Amino acid sequence: MSLLLRVRDLEVSYGAVPAVKRVALEVPAGEIRAILGANGAGKSSTIKAILGLVKARGTIELEGRPIHGAPPHRIHQLGVAWVPEGRQLFSTLTVHENLKMGAFARGDGPRFASRVDEMFALFPLLRERRSQLAGSLSGGEQQMLAIARALISEPRLLIMDEPSLGLAPKVVQRLFEQIREINARGLSILMVEQNARQALKIAHYAYLLEVGRLAAEGPSAALMASEDVQRVYLGG
Amino acid sequence: MELFLQQVLNGLMIGSTYAVVALGFSLVFSVMRVVNMAHPEFFMAGAFGAYLTIRHVTTNFFGVLAGGMLVAAVIGLVVERLAIRPVRGRYVMIPFIATSGVGIALQHLAERVFGSDPVAIPPVVPTVSYTLGQLSVRNTKWGRATRAVAERPEVAAAFGVDVNFVSRLTIGISALMAGAAGVSIGILYTSAWAFMGLLYGLKSFVCMLVAGNRHIEGVMAIGLLLGVLEALVSGYVSSTLRDAVAFGVLVVVLVFKPGGLFGSYSV
Repeated sequence: MSLLLRVRDLEVSYGAVPAVKRVALEVPAGEIRAILGANGAGKSSTIKAILGLVKARGTIELEGRPIHGAPPHRIHQLGVAWVPEGRQLFSTLTVHENLKMGAFARGDGPRFASRVDEMFALFPLLRERRSQLAGSLSGGEQQMLAIARALISEPRLLIMDEPSLGLAPKVVQRLFEQIREINARGLSILMVEQNARQALKIAHYAYLLEVGRLAAEGPSAALMASEDVQRVYLGG
Repeated sequence: MELFLQQVLNGLMIGSTYAVVALGFSLVFSVMRVVNMAHPEFFMAGAFGAYLTIRHVTTNFFGVLAGGMLVAAVIGLVVERLAIRPVRGRYVMIPFIATSGVGIALQHLAERVFGSDPVAIPPVVPTVSYTLGQLSVRNTKWGRATRAVAERPEVAAAFGVDVNFVSRLTIGISALMAGAAGVSIGILYTSAWAFMGLLYGLKSFVCMLVAGNRHIEGVMAIGLLLGVLEALVSGYVSSTLRDAVAFGVLVVVLVFKPGGLFGSYSV
C-alpha cells in the first residue's frame, strides 16, 4: 500500500508555548485516518502544520516529497484540500462562487462545470441554493458546501477539522455516511474529531493526542476495544 | 447660478481625488486589515512622477498620467515589500506605525531630492477629468480571490491563493489610483511638493472614516461630496473655513455613527 502522507517528529509552538511535540503519523492511500483528543491536545495545530498554515519543525512528506516550509497555496496545488473547523465559508460569496474559490488553483474551464454537477449530485440541496450567499445557509448546508468546496479541487488528500462540530445528531449521522462514501470512491482522508465514537466508526486507523503528544494509536477496532480509550474518550 | 455651477464643478474635480485616494485606503484596509499611512505619499509620488515625465519624457497628457501612475506604483510595491508584508497579520497598530515611518521617510526623501519649495508643473493640457473605471472586484478570478482574502486569509491561502500576490496587487492598484489623483492635482495646481500628501491624505482618510470602508460606492460618494461641500464653502462663505468643514463633518458623523455611514470592517 502506498503512503500518501508521512509526518515525522512534528513540533509546533506558539511563542514559547509548545502545542505539538514529536508527533508522527501516516495516511496510506485510500484510508480514513482520525486524530482524536480533547480540546487543546494539538489536533488542529497538527493539521495546520500539514497545510502550511503554521510554522513547524520536523518532516512532512506528500508521496515522498517533502512539503514542510512550503507556503499553503503550493501545498494545496500538490493535492491537499481542507475542510476547516466551523466551515469558514466565504460568507459574502454565493454558493457557486465558493465552489469557484475551491477550484481556484484548477481554473474554471469546462472541467469545472462537470465537477460542479458532481458536487450537486452528491449534495442536491446545494443546487437549489447555488445563487444564495453562503452566509445564509443552515449549519448542515454550510458543512456540505465546505466539503464540496474542498472536493471540487480534486484533492488527493482531504483534511477535515471537526466536521461534526455544531451539527444536530441526525445531520452528523448523514454526514459521516457521506464521508464514508467519498472515501469509498478512493479519496484519502485525515480527520480531526472530538466525537471519537463516530470517528472510530468510519476511520480505519486513529491517533490519540494528549497535550501535544501521541498517547496511543492503532486500528479503530483495537482502540474502540481498549479500556483506556474507552474510559478517557468514549465516556464509559 | 454660474458661480454655483463653477464651484460644483471644481468641487467634483477635487472631490474625485479625495474619492480615489480614500478608495485606496479603504481597499487596502478591507483586504488586508492594514491602515496604510504611506498611502498619501503614493499620491505625492504621482505628482512628482508627472513632473519628471513632463521634464524628461513627454508632455502628452496620457503619457504624463501613465508616468505619474507608474512612479506611484513602483513606490507602492517598495513600501509593500519593506513595511507591509513583514508585519501583515500582526496587531493593527504595527503596520500602522511601520507605514507611518516609511511615509515620513518618503516625504523627506522627496524634500531632499526636489527641495522644499513646490516644483512647477508646466500646464500641459487642459485638465481632463477622468472617470475611474469600475473596480472589478466583483466577477473576475482575482477579484473573487481578493474578496476571499479579505474575509478569510487563511482559508483563501489553503485554497491556492498566493496571499503575497494579493497584497502586491492590492497595494499596486491603490498606488496606481493615488498616483492618478496626484497627477491631476499636480496639473490642476501646476505644482508638486514634498508634503502635499499630508492634507489630501488626511482628508481622504476622513472620507473613508465617514463612509465606513465596507462599500466602495459609499467611499467614492463621500469623497465627491466633500469636494463639492468644500468648494461651496469656499465660494459662498470663506475659503479659510474650508478645512474646518471637512473635519467638522467627521466629528459629527463619528459621534453618531462610529462605524461610518455605510458600515465598516473591524480589525
